[in-house]
Amino acid sequence: MCYNSGMKVALFVPCYVRTLAPHIIDTSIQVLHYFGIDVHVCNYQQCCGQPLINSGIETNLAHSLVQECSLYEYIVIPSSSCTTNIKNQTDAKNIYELSQFLYEVLGLRGICKKCPQKLALHISCHALRELGLSSASELAIEEYNKIEELLGCKLDKPNRDECCGFGGVYSLKEGFLSYVMGRDKLDDLLSLVPRAIVGVDMSCLVHLESIAKKDGDSVEFKHISQIILECLGETL
Amino acid sequence: MKHYELAIKFYKERGRRHNENLWKIRLKRDAAIKEVPEWEELREQASAIKERVIDNLDRYIQEFIQNATKLGIEVVFAKDAKAHNDIIYNYLKKIDAKKVVKSKSMLTEECGLNEFLYERGIEVIDTDLGERIVQLRGEKPSHIVLPAIHTTKEEVAEVLGESNSDPTYLTQVMRKRLRREFLSADAGISGANFLVAERGYAVVCTNEGNADLGALLPPLHIISVGIEKLVPTMRDLGIFLRMLARNATGQKITSFTTLFGKKANGKRVIVLVDNGRSERAKSTFRDTLKCIRCSACLTTCPVFRRSGGHSYRYVIPGPIGSLLAPLVDKEEYSDLPFACTLCSSCDDVCPVKIPLHHQLRTMRHFVTKPTFEQKMIKKVFESPLLFPFLLKNAKRVPKALFKVLAKEWTKYKALPELR
Repeated sequence: MCYNSGMKVALFVPCYVRTLAPHIIDTSIQVLHYFGIDVHVCNYQQCCGQPLINSGIETNLAHSLVQECSLYEYIVIPSSSCTTNIKNQTDAKNIYELSQFLYEVLGLRGICKKCPQKLALHISCHALRELGLSSASELAIEEYNKIEELLGCKLDKPNRDECCGFGGVYSLKEGFLSYVMGRDKLDDLLSLVPRAIVGVDMSCLVHLESIAKKDGDSVEFKHISQIILECLGETL
Repeated sequence: MKHYELAIKFYKERGRRHNENLWKIRLKRDAAIKEVPEWEELREQASAIKERVIDNLDRYIQEFIQNATKLGIEVVFAKDAKAHNDIIYNYLKKIDAKKVVKSKSMLTEECGLNEFLYERGIEVIDTDLGERIVQLRGEKPSHIVLPAIHTTKEEVAEVLGESNSDPTYLTQVMRKRLRREFLSADAGISGANFLVAERGYAVVCTNEGNADLGALLPPLHIISVGIEKLVPTMRDLGIFLRMLARNATGQKITSFTTLFGKKANGKRVIVLVDNGRSERAKSTFRDTLKCIRCSACLTTCPVFRRSGGHSYRYVIPGPIGSLLAPLVDKEEYSDLPFACTLCSSCDDVCPVKIPLHHQLRTMRHFVTKPTFEQKMIKKVFESPLLFPFLLKNAKRVPKALFKVLAKEWTKYKALPELR
C-alpha cells in the first residue's frame, strides 16, 4: 500500500492517558507511522483544560494548546472527549480524534487484514454525538458506523447507546449513579460475551474497568489503536 | 437534600423500574419520529420559528392580543408570578368561586398557584390523571408529561382507597370521581401548548380530554400561559403539532388537540405571563425559551431515568429543569447543572434544537464561584512545569491519598492502576 507520506501531525496526549494508559501513546504513534504520518508529540502542555471547564472554572488551556501545535497541519488526539473540548473552546478546525483522523482526513476504509473476533464496541458519547463517529439511536438519520467502516469489520454492539456514567467531573460528584450507569453499561456489553471491550476513549474504559475489577468481572479493555495494530498484523 | 442524596435514595427504592419504563417510552419515541422522513428538517424549522418569536416577542405579543381580543377572549398581561396569581384570584373572587378544576399547566406550578388559591379558600382539583394522583399523594409532578411515572399501580390503588390495582379499573374510578368535580366546579384553569399570533387561538393538547371538560363545563375558563408559547402562524403550528406528541410519548398526535377561541357559554380569559422570560430572551440562556415542554430530554437523560424527577426539587426537572432552576435560585439549585454527564443525548432529542448540554456546561460556570482550593487546582493544571511533573510522579503518590481525593470514585469502584 502507498500512503500519503510527508504529512506531519501533532499528537496531543491527554493527561489521563499519560497516567493511566501510557501504552496508548506508543500504539497511537505506531498506527500513524504505519500510514506514513510523521508524529510530533506535544509535551509542553499536558492538559486540554476539560476538567476545569466542566467544573465551572474558566481556563485558556485549550487555546494555548492549539497555539503550541499551530505549526502542524493537524492535531490528532487519542480521545474523543479532549478533541471535543478543544473544538468547543476554540474555533480550531484541524483537530481530530485518532480513528476520526484516519477515516475523515486520510479517507481510509477497510484497513484490517484479518477481522478481530468477539470485540464489543463501547462508543463513547463524545465520539457518538459530538464527533459523529456513529449514528446516535435517537436521531432520525440513516445508521452508520465509521469505526466499522474504517476497520472493514463488524463489531458487536450493546443494546443501548446510552452514556456509561463516567462523565469526568460527574464520576467524582455523583459516584453512586456513575457506578450504576457503568454497571448497566457493563452488563449490556458483557451480554455479548466479548473477548475484549474496545473504545476510542480510555477514560470511559478505565471507569468501566474499575467497576469490572471491583465487582469481579474478567474482561479485557482495549483502545482502538491496539485493535488497529492487531488487525494490521503488526506486533506490539 | 441535594440531587446527590435524593438520587441515591430514589434509585434504591424505585430507580430500576423507573429507568426501564422511561427507556420503553424513549424507544416508542424513536420509532415514531423515524416514521417522519423529514424529522431532522422539522427540527431545524421548529428551532428557526422559535428563534423568530424570541427575536420579535413584543411584536407577536401585540399581534396575539389584538387577534384574541377580536375573537372575544379577554387577554391580561402578568409581569410576574405574583401578578399572575393575583389576576387569577380576582377573576375567581368576582364570581365567588369555591372550586376550580385545573388541567395540566407547568406555569401554574411555576407560580405556585395551587397553594395561593388554597390559602384563600379556593379548592383546586387537578384533573389530569397523573397530576391528580400526585396531588392526592401530596407530591409534585415528577415528569412534565408523565407526572406520576415514579409511582406504582399499587400505590395509586392505595391513595384512591381501592383494593383492586388493575390500571383500567383505577382509571375508571378516577374518571367517575373527576366527572363529579367537573360538573360542580365554578371555573376551569388550564395551560396552553401554543398561542397562534395570526389568529388569536390558544392551543391545548391532552390525552384525556380533561382540559376540554374544564374549559367547556364551568362558566369561566382561565388559560395561564407563558409568552414563549407564541407561534406566528397556523402553518407554524402544524409543524409543532406534528412533533410534540411523537417526541413526548411516541403518539402520532395527542388524543385531543383543541384550538380555543371565544367561549360560547361564558367567559374565557388568557393570562399571558412574563415572569422573567423577556429578560431571559436577552441572556446567554435565551435558547431555553424555545422549549415546548415535550419532556423528551427528561426521558432520554440517563441520570434522570435513574434519579427520578423529585431529585431535581424544581417544578421542571431533568436537563431543561437544570437550566431553568438556577435562573430562579442560583444558590439553591447550584448542584443541578452538575447532575449531568454531558452525554448530549438531550441535544439530539430536542425538537427545537436547544443546545442543552452546552448550556448546562455554561450554567456550571454561572453557578460556580471558584473556591480557594479550586483556584489552586487551576494554577496547577495551567503550570507547564508543575503539571507534567505531577503526572510523571503520580504513581509515587500513596494510594491512601488518592482514596481520599477521589472518595466518590473509590466508594464504588476500584482505584485504577497508575502507570
